[in-house]
Amino acid sequence: MIIRPVFAVVERDLVKLFRQKGRLLSALVRPLIWLLVIGAGFDTLLESTETGYRSFLIPGVLGMSILFGALLGALSTVYEKESGVMRMMIIAPFKHYWIVFAKMTAASISACVQVFLLLLVLVVLGDIGWSVNWILLIPSVILLSISCAGIGMVVAAFSKTLDNFAAIMNFVIFPVFFLSGSLYPVNNLPGLLGVVAKLNPYTYGVDLLKHSVNVPLGGSADFPIFQNVAVLIMFTLLAFLLSSWRFSREEASNVWFPVTKKK
Amino acid sequence: MEEAAVTVRGLEKSYGSFKAVSKLDLDICAGEFFGLLGPNGAGKTTSIHMMSSLVRPTSGRASIFGLDVVRKPVDVRSKIGLVFQDSALDRQLSVWENLRFAGLLHNLPFSLVKERSNYLLKLFNLYEKKNVPVAALSGGQRRVLDIARGVMHEPKLLFLDEPTIGLDLPTRRNIWRYIHQLRSQTGMTVLLTTHYLEEAETCNRVAFLKNGNLVLTGNPKQLITELAKEILEIEATYPDKVLDSIKGLLGPALQEFETLFFKIKKNNEVDLVELTAGLKQKFGFELKKIIVRQPNLNDVFLWVNFK
Repeated sequence: MIIRPVFAVVERDLVKLFRQKGRLLSALVRPLIWLLVIGAGFDTLLESTETGYRSFLIPGVLGMSILFGALLGALSTVYEKESGVMRMMIIAPFKHYWIVFAKMTAASISACVQVFLLLLVLVVLGDIGWSVNWILLIPSVILLSISCAGIGMVVAAFSKTLDNFAAIMNFVIFPVFFLSGSLYPVNNLPGLLGVVAKLNPYTYGVDLLKHSVNVPLGGSADFPIFQNVAVLIMFTLLAFLLSSWRFSREEASNVWFPVTKKK
Repeated sequence: MEEAAVTVRGLEKSYGSFKAVSKLDLDICAGEFFGLLGPNGAGKTTSIHMMSSLVRPTSGRASIFGLDVVRKPVDVRSKIGLVFQDSALDRQLSVWENLRFAGLLHNLPFSLVKERSNYLLKLFNLYEKKNVPVAALSGGQRRVLDIARGVMHEPKLLFLDEPTIGLDLPTRRNIWRYIHQLRSQTGMTVLLTTHYLEEAETCNRVAFLKNGNLVLTGNPKQLITELAKEILEIEATYPDKVLDSIKGLLGPALQEFETLFFKIKKNNEVDLVELTAGLKQKFGFELKKIIVRQPNLNDVFLWVNFK
């Protein structure tokens, strides 16, 4: 059965995540800096809002933690192609889309681990309390983690090396984050920016988090819950199919056995 | 008729106009120790990748224990083990974690993973390093571990792609000792590629690849015997002059830089003692070396390319 191989891939990724204390710590610090610095800074600027900007920003930073966690998790696939570890997986007796499935599962779980740590800190800080809709929040966090792992897998399936990691940051992570409803309501975005933000699947994930965090506190969200869930599920399926197709193609042999660089 | 482990017919792989492997035919029986030999770029690795279902052939067929590599890649992969030219290990994980990962990927139960890795680590003399990160192992130990990784699931056929490349002689000898132990204990079929030809002399059969074509197959000892009884090797400052002076006496010569090789056949009638004495007298210090020795696979390989 396929359960043991998938377990092996997930176990290995989680073991490595917990060994890299710096990665876990930065996954906590990055969103907290946004929340405590940008949130507090803009609060003084926007005195008129009812619920405060820091409170508005909570779904955004939760989403950020998920986005970075899942993307970095999925991008480890590229490192595995480069270092040769991927060879252990491609010679194992199962179809190659199971590698995509296992890596997506691992990336989703490690994103969940990171965002739950962040949630714990936010509870301690008093930013999140019992007034939040936890019953909606938990599944939303999980769904967004899986979708972000999907974004990461598509990028990973089409990248040969991590040399262009800076390019991935600039052309994938930052646009996905900034062109979403994380920092501002999407409906207020003008013209093209608004259109791009509405095409960004991540927007719908953050919106789902707004439904669970902001709406109970008197804030607002941009889209209905049903639309958010539908977009995320559709996108995730599409991402899985696209990366599986790419992984199973013959040309992938060139990707699995990259021309080794002189060191 | 013995069971066929590998059957390859007209296998080809082209990358654009470049033919990496061309019309390869190969039959390997179960339990055989088979060497695929040839210089770098001859198409050995591409052939192995096609036989192990990782690269799709441009044309032709290959089957492993009767299973077609294109139509049944998953079944093929469950029968084979592969040790790649470059390590497939995770350097951040420990020795044991790597074996566990490989074992679970092959769907071995946890208890069997433990049993197999303990057995292999003891056999390969790595048991003390069980919890050491792979990054802290020496190059030789890493190679040995990679082989252990490749046989965790007891494959019926093991592909070894240049298993000893870049290693020192004692380590290479150890690796061969381990491989022979494994073979004698499991009866596993082994397909080896190497360009250290002396390592292939223990093979049951070898095949020489050149520019993607198979040029010669046979039992290494037989190929060596068929080549010549002895080899006369002459190293001189001006090999052309030496060649001129004994032309026609010993048949064609193979020249590599300053060294000439002559095949001495069984029915040879030339008195070699007299010949060498004459050459020494004639060329004096220009003659750096002159020996008569047993032929080996290297000679077979050189003469194959000479034809």
